[in-house]
Parts: sequence; structure tokens; C-alpha cells
Amino acid sequence: MVVALLVSMAATVPAQENYLEVTASGSGQLSLSVATPQRLEGKDNPEVAQEIADVLAFDMTLSGLFQVAAKDLERGGIRPGEFSYAPWKSGGTKLVVKSGYSITGGDRLTLDLRLYDVLQEKVLTANRFSGSSRDVRRMAHAFADEILRAMTGQAGPFTGKIAFVSKRTGNKEIYLMDYDGRSVQQLTKNKSINLNPDFFPNGREIIYTTYKNRNPDLYRRELYTGAEAKVSTQRGLNVTAAVAPAGDRIALAMSKEGHSQIYVITPQGKQLTRLTNSSALEVSPAWSPDGKQLAFVSDRLGKPQIFVATDDGSTVRRLTTSGSYNVEPRWSPKGNLIAYCRQMGGGFQIFLVNRDGSGNTQITSEGSNEHPRWSPDGRFITFSSKRGGKESIYVMRADGTGQTKVSRNSGSDTHPVWSPR
Amino acid sequence: MRNGITTLIAALCCTLMLATGCAKKELVKAETPPPEVVVVSPPPAPAPVIPEQVKENPVVKDAVVGTEEIAALSEDATASKLFQTIYFDFDAFTLSEAARDSLAKNAVALKKSKGLKVQIQGNCDERGSDAYNLALGEKRAKAAYDYLITLGAPSNQLHVISYGKERPVDPGHDEAAWAKNRRDDFVVLK
Repeated sequence: MVVALLVSMAATVPAQENYLEVTASGSGQLSLSVATPQRLEGKDNPEVAQEIADVLAFDMTLSGLFQVAAKDLERGGIRPGEFSYAPWKSGGTKLVVKSGYSITGGDRLTLDLRLYDVLQEKVLTANRFSGSSRDVRRMAHAFADEILRAMTGQAGPFTGKIAFVSKRTGNKEIYLMDYDGRSVQQLTKNKSINLNPDFFPNGREIIYTTYKNRNPDLYRRELYTGAEAKVSTQRGLNVTAAVAPAGDRIALAMSKEGHSQIYVITPQGKQLTRLTNSSALEVSPAWSPDGKQLAFVSDRLGKPQIFVATDDGSTVRRLTTSGSYNVEPRWSPKGNLIAYCRQMGGGFQIFLVNRDGSGNTQITSEGSNEHPRWSPDGRFITFSSKRGGKESIYVMRADGTGQTKVSRNSGSDTHPVWSPR
Repeated sequence: MRNGITTLIAALCCTLMLATGCAKKELVKAETPPPEVVVVSPPPAPAPVIPEQVKENPVVKDAVVGTEEIAALSEDATASKLFQTIYFDFDAFTLSEAARDSLAKNAVALKKSKGLKVQIQGNCDERGSDAYNLALGEKRAKAAYDYLITLGAPSNQLHVISYGKERPVDPGHDEAAWAKNRRDDFVVLK
């Protein structure tokens, strides 16, 4: 099940701001080697060693900051003084991750991981994790988060989960998986239609729309107990709901007054604001990270376009001015960009636009791509893509590079959302 | 929540104890700098979602069938054959001549069968975003509802729902399939 990662108060290597820019020569990626994880104590377990190496290589490659290789250039230990830097230096490696595991008492796993700067011959960061051996991937992801923190000053999002909708049982149900597609868990099992999950900021509860009571109602669900409560069951639509960054409000589209309009409600379902008041169809609200503005989709000018309103609805401006059909806005965590989808050539592509409406950039082109959602650090975007077969969940860097399929199944997977930290 | 915090504090204490232990161990090996220690502990008991905290908004009681009332009902395919499906143009919710003719027949059938609960289900083709199609499907169902009311159909027998593009009748990806999927179904619930 879930593992809580508790960062201790023990001696912490201070974050090295902009370390990467200082170290990197030119625009090239730093060469980073992942040495084979070593057995330190207890039983030998090649599978555990492989998992550690695989997770680190996958996460570091996705980051786009490193040229990653799994290799060993010496046979020393993992601690300073136990190995020689010389072979790494002459091999052209700038950074080495050395790690070791101990499996004791049957199931108890301790992982020791260190990131070394080969040129300066020093430890950049070191972590030790203890837990059950089934948490091995989570521990390795946590060190990958830490490597990015040590190199850039901002931790990675690799311990995050992705909630998504899958039709693998024949019905659209809500699922949860690690961001890399592993540890898939089916959350809802109501055999109805379930849509649009979104996380509360604590990462432990989601909201989603379900048809299980013959009306698209908004429910709230505790992930690990499965406990549920109704949030909004107004007659008609209670759809495309988004939790405010502070978790204190929910924006959604409801049709209780005749046609789909945007409202802001409390997490208990009490209406705070009717954000839009038009005769048009309006859906898909998306909060700015400061919670003061909302982007949303409206067809008030004919076709669906993206608009931005203040959170009291007092001012509304049009965001997208090019493209005839723009939908699914999602504000970046830093607030400067909005990702959205544009209908093109029978499908959709993902675009980025500055918050003032300038600088449109298309970042996908293969197949049809929808439902962009940012990782909490803003480095990555998860989305659903249809490339030949069924729709699957992908992740990519926020500039559109490194597109990688992470969901593994033959059913249609859509609506991914990356959990908060 | 209090439970969770207690567990968290307990876990932190464990962490610190371990950290101290580790620091000593590392000191013997004279390693610098000392490693940061992170302990993966069992999850604290997650705070349950307490159903009591949720206050239902009062459902506006007008003539339309309430959502609670229909939650327990199921679709009656045989009885639904009394009613004709109507179809729409692409990205539109206006009623065509053919749709109005069908609705006139549906209004007669409704008036004949008092007490029958009928759900008007608005649907869209697969083009367009799923979110926008939920709103569009609702408009299609509402257009039929409004027209049925003007024809004198009893509003207390009707309920409107949008399935967006979630329930296509034809799984194809061409105009023939799309035309069949842009529709209002009239489904008897009992």
C-alpha cells in the first residue's frame, strides 16, 4: 500500500541552487552513470538491484537533464574512499549514482543511495530508506526526486501517482498508478461511467463525476479507505470539477439552471459563486496556482474557446484567439503557462500559451492527444494519446520532448492527473 | 486526522532514533558528509471521509423527476420502444423537421401512459472534447424536453440526462456512425 516518506531532521546536504547550470558545459546533458546496486548485508536479490537501477535510469532519462547509462567502471564499494573516481573520470562520466541494499529479517529492505560528482570527487546527496522490500520502487523514485533537488534546487515529482479513467473492464472506472505506470489499482467498481478525477492538495482524496445514480454527480473519495461522500448532486451536469490549489473550493460545470455554466462550491457542495452567466455552454474550469483566476471553455463566440475569469466572475477575457476549437485548459504550477487542446485534422493536439494569450506553441503532433495535466513541479505533462490503437496515458517534458507511454493495457485510458506532492 | 498526526509524530520519533543510530554508525566509518536519512514508514491511518460533514444541497423541487427518485430505477428496453429516437446535425442542438415529427409522436405516447417515467438521454458523436460534449448532449436532451412540454407532455414524467460521447450506439469512425450517435434516446425507467 502507500508509503509515507518522512524526511528526517538529520544532516541535510543543502540544496545547491543552479548547480546544474554551473556544471553543465554548453547545452549538453550531463553524463550520469547508474552503477549496479550492490548487496550490502543479508540475502542477494538481483531483482531488487534491477528495480533500483531501472527506476533511476527511467526517471533520470525522463528528466531530460542527463545522458543516462547503467554501467560499472570499477568494483569498489558505495561509500567515499571505497572506490576510485579515476575510471569514471576517464570514462567521461560526470555524475555517478552508487547504491546498495540490505534485505534483513525476510522482508526488511534498507536502501543506501549516493550521488557523486566525479570531477569534484564528492557526495552531492545521500539518502537512506528503510521499509518493506515491496517499497523498493518507491524508494528509488524518492532518490530520483532528491537527485533533481540536489541538481536544480527543486525536487522531482517521481514519487507522485497518476489517477486516471480506464475502460479496461468495459466500463469507465477510476484507477490509480505510479507515475511510471506501475502498481495499478482500480478505485471505483460501480460499473457505471466515471469521469474526470482530480486530487485534493493532500494527495489522499479525489473528486470525480459518476453516473452511478443515473445523473452525472460529483463525489469525493478517500483513496486508501475507499470511503465516499456526495459533493454535488444537482439535477443535470455536475462535471469537469477542479479542486482549488488550496483545497478550499471546487470549480465545476453544472446545468441546474438550464445549461452548462461554471460555478464555485465548497468541498461540501455549498455554492459560493456562479462564475459565468451566459447563454453559452461552459465547461472545464482550471484554477490559476494562486486560486485567483480560472481558465474555462465557452462557446459564447460560436465554437469552444478558452477564456479566463477572476474567481468572483467579475472580469472575463478571451485567452485563445487562434484555432477554431480550443478546449481543456490546465494552468501550469508556476502560473506562467496554460496547456490546452486544439482540434486539428480529426483529432486533438496539445498547445501551450502564455497566461496573457501570447506565444502559442504546439507540443504534440503524433496521433491525437488530449487531457494535459502538469506534474506538481511543472517539469512534465501527463496526457492521454491515441496513436494507432487504444488511448493510453503518456508523460512528457513540458516542452513536448521525451514523450513516453506509461500505461500498459489494451483498454482505453484517459484523463490522467498527477498527484500533488 | 488526530490519529494520523499521532502516527506521524511516532514515526518521526522513530526516524530521529534511527538517524541518531545511523549517524553513530557512519561516524565509525568516518564518512563525510553524513548521509541524509529518510525512513520509509508504514502509512499513517488515512483520515476517513466522514459522511456526516456533507450537507446535501436541497434539490429544487419542481415538476421534473428528482435525481434521488430515479437513482434506484433501471432501464426498460421493451417499454422504451414506445418512443422514437431523434437525431441532430453536427455540433448542433436545434430540432429538425423529422425530430419534431418524432417528438409529436413521443408526446402522444407519454400522454397515453400516465405515470411512465422517461429519461431523455442526450448523446454526441465522438468528435469534439468529451467535456464539451457533456454540455452539448445536455442541450440536445433539453431541446427535446422543452418541445415535449410545449406539446402538452406531462413534465413530471420526464427527466433529462447527458451522456456526452460516452454511450455511442455505433462504434464506427465515419459520418454514418456519427449521424447515428448524435441523438436523444427516450428511455423508460422503472
